Amino acid sequence: MLTARERPTPLRASDPNEWSTLMVRAQSGDGAAYRRLLQGITPYLRAIASRAHRNPSDAEDTVQDILLTLHAVRQTYDGTRPFKPWLAGIAQHRVVDRLRAQGRIAAKEVVLEFEHETFAAPDANVDMGLDVHTMRAGLRGLPDGQRRAVTLLKMEEMSLKQASEVSGMSVASLKVSTHRGIKALRRLLGHQGDGT
Amino acid sequence: MIDTTELIESLAAEAKPTRPLLNPFARAALWLAMAGAIVILLGIEHGVRTDISVQLGKPSFTLAIGASLVTGILAAIGCLVASLPDRSRSWLLLPLPSLAVWVSTISYGCLTDWVSFQSGSMQPGEAWSCLATLLLVSLPLSAMMFVMLRHAARLRPTLVTMTAGLAVAAITSMALSLFHPLDATMMILMLNLGTAAMIVAIEGAAGRTILVYIARLTGS
Repeated sequence: MLTARERPTPLRASDPNEWSTLMVRAQSGDGAAYRRLLQGITPYLRAIASRAHRNPSDAEDTVQDILLTLHAVRQTYDGTRPFKPWLAGIAQHRVVDRLRAQGRIAAKEVVLEFEHETFAAPDANVDMGLDVHTMRAGLRGLPDGQRRAVTLLKMEEMSLKQASEVSGMSVASLKVSTHRGIKALRRLLGHQGDGT
Repeated sequence: MIDTTELIESLAAEAKPTRPLLNPFARAALWLAMAGAIVILLGIEHGVRTDISVQLGKPSFTLAIGASLVTGILAAIGCLVASLPDRSRSWLLLPLPSLAVWVSTISYGCLTDWVSFQSGSMQPGEAWSCLATLLLVSLPLSAMMFVMLRHAARLRPTLVTMTAGLAVAAITSMALSLFHPLDATMMILMLNLGTAAMIVAIEGAAGRTILVYIARLTGS
């Protein structure tokens, strides 16, 4: 049963038996016959496309792809053979192509939710540049004095006085060691620490 | 994207007369006639191998030549038929039985003739002559096949072009066997199957690009 929207107009060839004749006439350059044919097959193509694609705009794009391909390969139609299998063959190629393309795109995409958006923004991630393990590995690479100074002053956030009491190092040597330690750490983790 | 009704209007406005393609079997016959003409012309120019009468007496040689010819014919028919939207892709399987016979004949011949392997039976100049035959046969045949298949550019053509490559490879291999004394077994294997695999691989890989280019060039 046809819906009101699809009800044939006199200009549209809705009878598949007519399609073959119209295609042969279109091959000989009859634009009016070609228009009737294309308008007539469009609901059939929409039915094929919407079976494969849930999104109506994808289905309509597929219909247009099929029409364009039909136009490009119209010389391959043999007037002695039925038209519908020829059309269905072209339609199947385009439907499969679009499904494959969608599959390829979907494989590289991640559905974005608010959380993803927050976590993906660099500013929202204070520890993006350096993680604890990298930092620890870097610290292990420093000489003892520098490691102790950096750990106490920068990691444990002690004051110079407190650090001096805990470590037994003088304030001046703590300052020098921290300065050198930070410099060495920057060099060691340079590629990751930049810009953080 | 534009509205479908507008698209139909613009396509209808472009409906210039177009000549329907010939029946695929007729086109295969045309291609094979051209292949035959090339092989005959090369035969006249280069001459067939000197020991052809001895070779034709050997069942393994005649079987291999026959199988490669049949593979060429069936692959040409298969790819031209399968390239049409309303024909089954199973047409691409058409050359497989003869391909199996061809490959197994060559391989069997190589195994049994292994003891008679003569190193140096191929002169250095012969290799260049072989390469010339290979190019003279395969290039025009590939070009003609791609022109015949240009409409398939829009219809997932990789398997079709690979089968077209098989048709070219089989005919090329037959020409090589007819014109060049390939006595060393490794040479037979390399030149027959190696060349065949190479042509099939190249045409399979580059096929779509070439078809799209030809289709654009010819405006179809």
